[in-house]
Amino acid sequence: MSNGASLTGDLKFLNLGEVLQLLGSNGSTGVLNVLSKYAQNPGVIYLEKGNPIDATDGSLKGIDGLYALFGWTDGKFEFKEQTITKKNTIKKSRMEIILEGLRMVDDGQIEILGAVSFKSKTPDGSEKSTHVPYIRGPLVDYMYVIDEEDFKDGDEIVKEGKHGGWIWVILDGTVEIIKETKKGRLNVIRIGEGSFVGSMSSFYSKSNVRSASAFAKGDVQLGMLDSQQLFSEFSNMTSDFKNIIKSIDNRLKLVTNRTSDFYIGKINLDEIISGKPAIKQGDNEDRLFSIAKGKASIVRNYEKIFIPLVDLAERDFIGNMPFLDMGHEPYSASVFASKDFKIKKLDTVELQREFENLSTTFKNLIENVATCITATTMVACEYYKKINKENTDKK
Amino acid sequence: MANFNQKKREIECKIVYYGPGRGGKTTNLEYIFKAFKSHVTEDMVSINTEGDRTIFFDFLPVGLGKIKGCNVRVYLYTVPGQVQYSSTRKLVLKGVDGIVFVADSFEVRRDYNIHSLKDLSDNLKEHGKNIFQIPLVMQYNKRDLEDLVPLLSVDQMEKDLNNQLKVPSFPASAINGEGVGKTLKECLKLTLIALQKEFKWAEK
Repeated sequence: MSNGASLTGDLKFLNLGEVLQLLGSNGSTGVLNVLSKYAQNPGVIYLEKGNPIDATDGSLKGIDGLYALFGWTDGKFEFKEQTITKKNTIKKSRMEIILEGLRMVDDGQIEILGAVSFKSKTPDGSEKSTHVPYIRGPLVDYMYVIDEEDFKDGDEIVKEGKHGGWIWVILDGTVEIIKETKKGRLNVIRIGEGSFVGSMSSFYSKSNVRSASAFAKGDVQLGMLDSQQLFSEFSNMTSDFKNIIKSIDNRLKLVTNRTSDFYIGKINLDEIISGKPAIKQGDNEDRLFSIAKGKASIVRNYEKIFIPLVDLAERDFIGNMPFLDMGHEPYSASVFASKDFKIKKLDTVELQREFENLSTTFKNLIENVATCITATTMVACEYYKKINKENTDKK
Repeated sequence: MANFNQKKREIECKIVYYGPGRGGKTTNLEYIFKAFKSHVTEDMVSINTEGDRTIFFDFLPVGLGKIKGCNVRVYLYTVPGQVQYSSTRKLVLKGVDGIVFVADSFEVRRDYNIHSLKDLSDNLKEHGKNIFQIPLVMQYNKRDLEDLVPLLSVDQMEKDLNNQLKVPSFPASAINGEGVGKTLKECLKLTLIALQKEFKWAEK
C-alpha cells in the first residue's frame, strides 16, 4: 500500500460511502482502489473533482459496478491522486450514489462480500451448487520466498494423504482445495494471491500428512517459503503461543473434515451438545482460555439450526482471540463443554504482543488460516443446511 | 461537529429531518428546495425507500452570517425510518448538527410519533449524542386537515412529545409551506448558536 497512495484505510472503519464523501468534499481527482480478501480483482472507482465518473467491479462497469462495491464492507481502500482521462459514464451526483448504494445494501439488492455472509443462490433459485468461497491473502512478503515454481491448469500441487512439509505462498493464480469423499471430489475453497498452500503442522509434527489436495486452476505461480527460517521462528515462541498455532491449524483441519462429512450426509452429534453452553453465541466474552481437561464442541446457530463445527480437546483454546477473526466463538458460535471440563485463562495482552512481533510472513500465515476457517465454516453450514432440509422433507 | 471545508472556506452543517413515515418530512424539504432554489447549487437527490423517500440537498443560505469568516453551507437530509435501513441511517445521522422532528397531527398516528421520537433518541445515543443536548425543533404537521380528519390538539402533542424536551415547536402545514420556513429558521438558529459555542470553545 505504500506505492504513492494519498489516502489508505480500512473499510470497516470508514465505509465506501464515507470515503466517497470525504474525497468529495475535498474535490479530489484520481483513482480509488477497493481491495477485498474475497474478490479476485480490486474494485476501481475513478473520481474527477470529487465526483465518481466511472467504476469497475469485476465484470460490472459504470454505475452498476460502483453500486456493487458498496457490498464490500470488509477490506481496504487506497486513493491515488492522478489525472483521469476516462469518459464520464456516471451521470448521477455523488450524494445520490451514496444514498442509493446504501439503500440497495439495506434492501438486500447488493451482495455483501465476505466469507461470513455470502449467500449461495444460483440464478434459477435452486441450491444445488454451493458457492465456493475465494480467499485472497495479504500482500506477499518476499523475504521468506526462496524459490518460485510454476504449475499448469489442473496440476496437482499437493495430494491428500501424502507426506510433505513444504509451505508455499501463491504469487499468481488460483488454487482449489479439494477433499476426496465417497461422493467424489469436494471443492472446499479456492485460494488466490497471498494465500498459503500447506500447513503449519510441519513445524511441530514429524509425520506431516497433507489433509487435503491442492490443484492449480489455470496457470499458477507459487513461492516456496523458507521452512528453516519459519521453523526457527516457531521454536522461539512461548509454549502458549505454540499451542495456539497448533490449535488453529487443527481447527482448520477439523472444520474441513466436517465439511466433507456434511457433504456426504454424515452427521455425528456429540452428546455434550446439550443444556447450557459455556459460551453463548453473541456473548460479549473477551477472555481466551486453554482447555486443561475435558472436551468442548463449537456449535453455530445458523438460521435457527445448530451446527456442530469442531470438537476440541486438551490444549486447544476457546474464547475470544483479540488479534484473529475465525468467525467462530464468541460472536458467531457457542461453546458446549463436557462435565469434567476445566480451563486455564490465557494472557491475551502478552499473546497479542507476541503476535505483533512475528515476521510478516508468519503473521500472514496465521491470519490466512483464520480466514480459511471462517470461509470453510460457511461452506460446512451450507451443506449442513442441505442435509437438514432433506431430512425434514423426508418426514 | 460540523465539517470545515478549507478549500471552499465553508462550514458544512448537517440538519436532519426525522419523524414517522408519511409524516411530511419529504414535503418539508421539497418546499424548502423550491423556496430556496436560487441558493441551491445542485439538484435535489431523492431515493425511494420503502414507505418513504430519502431526500438530500445542500444550500448556502444568505443572511445567515458567517462563522470566523466562513460561509455556512447547510446540508438537509431526511432519514428513512424503517429498521432495515441501518446503513443509510448511520450515514445520515453521522455528524448531525441539528434535528427537526416532524410529527404527524393525525389522531391515528399518535403512537407512531411517540415511537419515532424514542427511535431518534436511541439512534442518537448510538452515535454518542444526547437528544436533550442536540439542537432540536418540533413541528406538528398537517394542521390544514383539521376539518377533514380527526387531529390531535397541539396541547396534546406538546404533552406527548415535548413534555420533557421543552424545545421550540411549531404547528405547520408543509404542503402549503406554512410553518416550514419558521421551523427551519429556528433549527438553524439553534444549530449556529451551538456551532458558535463549539468554535469559540475550541479557540481557548
